[in-house]
Amino acid sequence: MSKIMKILLISLCLIGVLSLGVAGAAERPLRITWAWPTYIDPAVGSDFSSSVALVNLYDTLVYPDVKGDAQPNVAKSWETSADGLTWTFHLRPGIKFHDGTELTAEDVKFSMNRLTTIGEGYGFLFVGKIVSIDVPDRHTIVFHFKEPFGPFLTTLYRLYIVNKNVVMANIKKPGPYGDMGDYGKEYLLTHDAGSGPYMVKKFPLEEYLLMVINPNYWQQIDLNAPDEFKMIGTTEPVTVRTMISRRELEITDQWQSLEALTALDKIKGVDIAGFFPGTEFYYMMHTKKSPTDDIHFRKAIAWTMDYKTVVDKLFPGCIQSKGPVPQTLPGADPTVFQYYRDLNKAKAELKRSKYYGQLDKYPVTVHWCAEVPDEEKVALLFMSNMADIGINVKVVKTPWMSMIEECATEETSPNIVTIFDSAHYPEAASLLESRYKSESAATWEQNEWLLDPELDTMIDDAIKTVDREERFVKYGKIQHYITDLCPTLFLFDQVEKHAYQATYVDWPTAKGEVIPVMGYNFAARFIKVYPDKRSELLK
Amino acid sequence: MRTIIFIAKRLVYSVFVLIGLSILIFTIARVMPGHPARMALGSRAPDWAVERLREEMHLNESLYVQYYYWAKDALHGDFGVSLVTRRGVANDIREFFPASLELTLYAGIFMGIMGIILGTISGWYNNTWIDNLVRIISYIGIVTPSFVFAIFFVLIFGYVLEIFPTMGRLTPGVVHPPLITKMITFDALITGHFAVFFDALKHLFLPAVSLAMGGMAQEARITRSALTDNVNKDYIASERSCGIPERTIMFKYLLKPSFIPTISIYGLDFASLLGNAFLIELIFNWPGLSRYGMNAMLRKDLNAMTAVILVFGLVFIIVNIIVDLIVGYLDPRIRLGAERTQ
Amino acid sequence: MQKDSRRKEGLFRKWEDIRRYWYKFSRNSLSIIGLVVVCIILFAAIFAPYISPYPKSAGKFINFYEASQPPNSAHLCGTDVFGRDVLTRVFFGYRFSLMMGIVVLALVVPVGVALGLIAGYYRGSWLDTIIMRITDIFVAVPPLILALAVCSVLTPGIFHAMMAVSLMWWPWYTRMVYGIASSLKGEFFVQAAEVGGASRGHILFKEILPNCIAPIFTKMSLDMGWVILIGASLSFVGLGVQPPTPDLGSMVADGSKYLPDQWWIAVFPAFAIMLVVLAFNLLGDGIRDMLGAKGG
Repeated sequence: MSKIMKILLISLCLIGVLSLGVAGAAERPLRITWAWPTYIDPAVGSDFSSSVALVNLYDTLVYPDVKGDAQPNVAKSWETSADGLTWTFHLRPGIKFHDGTELTAEDVKFSMNRLTTIGEGYGFLFVGKIVSIDVPDRHTIVFHFKEPFGPFLTTLYRLYIVNKNVVMANIKKPGPYGDMGDYGKEYLLTHDAGSGPYMVKKFPLEEYLLMVINPNYWQQIDLNAPDEFKMIGTTEPVTVRTMISRRELEITDQWQSLEALTALDKIKGVDIAGFFPGTEFYYMMHTKKSPTDDIHFRKAIAWTMDYKTVVDKLFPGCIQSKGPVPQTLPGADPTVFQYYRDLNKAKAELKRSKYYGQLDKYPVTVHWCAEVPDEEKVALLFMSNMADIGINVKVVKTPWMSMIEECATEETSPNIVTIFDSAHYPEAASLLESRYKSESAATWEQNEWLLDPELDTMIDDAIKTVDREERFVKYGKIQHYITDLCPTLFLFDQVEKHAYQATYVDWPTAKGEVIPVMGYNFAARFIKVYPDKRSELLK
Repeated sequence: MRTIIFIAKRLVYSVFVLIGLSILIFTIARVMPGHPARMALGSRAPDWAVERLREEMHLNESLYVQYYYWAKDALHGDFGVSLVTRRGVANDIREFFPASLELTLYAGIFMGIMGIILGTISGWYNNTWIDNLVRIISYIGIVTPSFVFAIFFVLIFGYVLEIFPTMGRLTPGVVHPPLITKMITFDALITGHFAVFFDALKHLFLPAVSLAMGGMAQEARITRSALTDNVNKDYIASERSCGIPERTIMFKYLLKPSFIPTISIYGLDFASLLGNAFLIELIFNWPGLSRYGMNAMLRKDLNAMTAVILVFGLVFIIVNIIVDLIVGYLDPRIRLGAERTQ
Repeated sequence: MQKDSRRKEGLFRKWEDIRRYWYKFSRNSLSIIGLVVVCIILFAAIFAPYISPYPKSAGKFINFYEASQPPNSAHLCGTDVFGRDVLTRVFFGYRFSLMMGIVVLALVVPVGVALGLIAGYYRGSWLDTIIMRITDIFVAVPPLILALAVCSVLTPGIFHAMMAVSLMWWPWYTRMVYGIASSLKGEFFVQAAEVGGASRGHILFKEILPNCIAPIFTKMSLDMGWVILIGASLSFVGLGVQPPTPDLGSMVADGSKYLPDQWWIAVFPAFAIMLVVLAFNLLGDGIRDMLGAKGG
């Protein structure tokens, strides 16, 4: 071969490779930014970004509507025994996993066992409640409970069905789960084993999660639904703004500061979507640690806080909370008492507290989450408010991981931890249970350390009630009971705000069809993307 | 032969330093009170799973035993599991290291070359306005923390002039060339994606320059003072009197000896480069090992933190050995094997 | 009479010395500038509560109605997103920066120097080996990285930040003093003192130490700048001084979130850091010229 031929060949190859580099873009991509880490293992993930990913990758037995009520999904029908101890589900035949095998009752059973054995993620919803699971035939599954479990249907939004065969084939031994080795945890960290409308294509950790549409999905997907769904792992305002203005990002994360959102809103064709997802912002006060162990001291704090500035200036659009349950969550009681800023009442309460006259000796420590910069504003407002009645406040910026660790024991928990928390399933019981029951005291969801057996019984009793109305009445009583103890500052029901490309993205949630279950508002198959309108914008 | 003995000596010595370093970091990471197993599994994980993991991680043993197990695994390249990514730390390091290496390489090259050029210009035009200008620049370079440079650069080049991207390694949408070295510029060159190469280079520019500024200024200062010292030496004057052309004097007799002090402190400047990369990668959202390490520290991901620091210690030691070799090559008078005093 | 004149002579000589030092120092106008700026910053830091326009802004104060104002006549450097005066916070920020520098050096220099003297004087003994091998470990990693690591496992705060930086800093003094001390060991005056039966303490601190003073002082004045810089870097990532206490590093970090629209929040503290490090560097160079020390 002559030299010229060689050069020719090489340059031909180069051109070939060059053109490769440009090709491969999706037609209707949907891209959102989100905060890491994201865990796409159904038995591990439970936070915001994980929930979004799981909802798109996996199917559940039932699916929530805008009221939070369960609609048939993988299960086409179900019935409960009169005593509420047995639930039977009849599965739709013919649903295929991403590998082409059929989804059967055996897979559902496996998924539930895996979730409760590993015990991470949403496992706690079911741990200790289910006695046994029967699979009478390929498409029927029966759950037997120890005690009646009223909200079971809605908790099933968190039971993502995994493909038993795929998981079993990818088990790594030895692992912490005995015969099951690592229960496929390492594999499911970066792969999916689901039947959902989207499938994992690429998942470089800390960068992005790329999902593509499942062409064989068992339900009809709109033709304009995104063919690619990418969750980008950044909330960095500069990056987000650049990507939005270049139309390389369709929906932003919810962690953009007020200032950043204002700037985003100014970009042509970009709107801000705001909705109440059932998230509340709490100041959790340690009821076993001085000085917040004194109820009068806590009440003094509650009377001193300037709620109005919080909702007017710091989190515009949010509303002040009424008690421990966000007002949009099914089961919330609208008659619960609401504190307001009244320094006279605050001082009166302070006088009744045992720390009156020695406030200097008892500073109140507030730990706010370093990952959510807006919390600092509230923390400083709190500090300056409390100075008005002479309470000395120490504000500490704490990384999320340290916060989890601190909250693990009564001694290391600080006086106040600030937290955004939302219901795991759309019923008041979810928050009441995860925030105030004794079992949750060692988790980040409860810094109050209430450890109140009476309250535990009340919550248990409510959850055992199968009749919905009766149950909701009981929820109301619990909310009053908790508010009377004043263990928490119920600051506001959060408006979740996302900037999005209103011109070429049709997002039902932005139009008011809000599903009160975390993650479900980002089910990409219901979002429509119009590429021609996008290219018009780019001109 | 002497060189080989020198390298061997240094290597053996480095191994001891690394062992010492690993003990130091391990102690820092483990003596603090905490529940690594609980944190790894989440607060709602059942107690038996946590206890099982504790046993697996040997957390119930004494610190010495823990270190023994840790070191044994580390020798096999197993640094445990990261709390955040939930993968093997070694895996993560393999994934994130190339991006950091690429950034430090470019910054290191920029630092060395620009430092020497500026220093030479300054020294050659001693006490003219050029010299003064360079000296002012290098003063500013020395006193400004890299994160301040980064923020100024983002503001000026990213926002006001809009000529350089301020985030990430590639423009979103540009496809990463096939992974060979995982360093985008090299991969793009090898596979002939020149458009991608320039895109990656553009993204590298701001972080690499803000990283290199401090060291560059230091190098320029040292080169300048070495050069001005040497210019006044007798042998230069005698060469001038022999009629040797200025250019030859400059390149043959002046520059080489003047570089020696510059290169000797290069190793030290490299330390600031590696350290500051922790802040720079965070600012520029650079998906490298430093950002990974920084996040690990902020989230108390102790396994990851320990491993990342060890890796950086290793890189630092290697760079210093290379620097010593170069200095030894340039100036045989400096006996190889003699300990370098800082 | 004679005694008196001798004393006068002594005084005169001292005065002469000071004048000579001052002459050496002031030959370079940059050193003078450095000295002046350091004095101004010290003044601003010490009297921050009295000279800053809004001393309240340094503490538990917020005013969301005056938030994010650009520089104007009322707020020369603007206000931040909490409505706090940026200039005031810079003045107060200097307090913590300087405190950091002073405390760290006060901790580090005695320890580092003492260890260096001992290791140098007992060169070749096991003491030397232990001390110097330990310094090797500490200098094997860039100091910022180790300081970050130590800070991250402790609860963040100025005290722990100081501890962490100190822990990283002493080996550099040890190594410097070690170099000098081990070379002086064979010198005549040291041997003379040994033969004369002087105690080891006397030899270390009265004979060898005085010869290290010049480089130590030079290094200290330069290091003031570096320690401040590392402190700022620590609080830049949130591991140093905690809010709402003003600190230059965290002010830059917080302000950078609001670039480019509210540029003043980050830019002025950034300039403040540059200024203080520059001033200490110029001063350090001046001191080096004055004492005729090399290196640093």
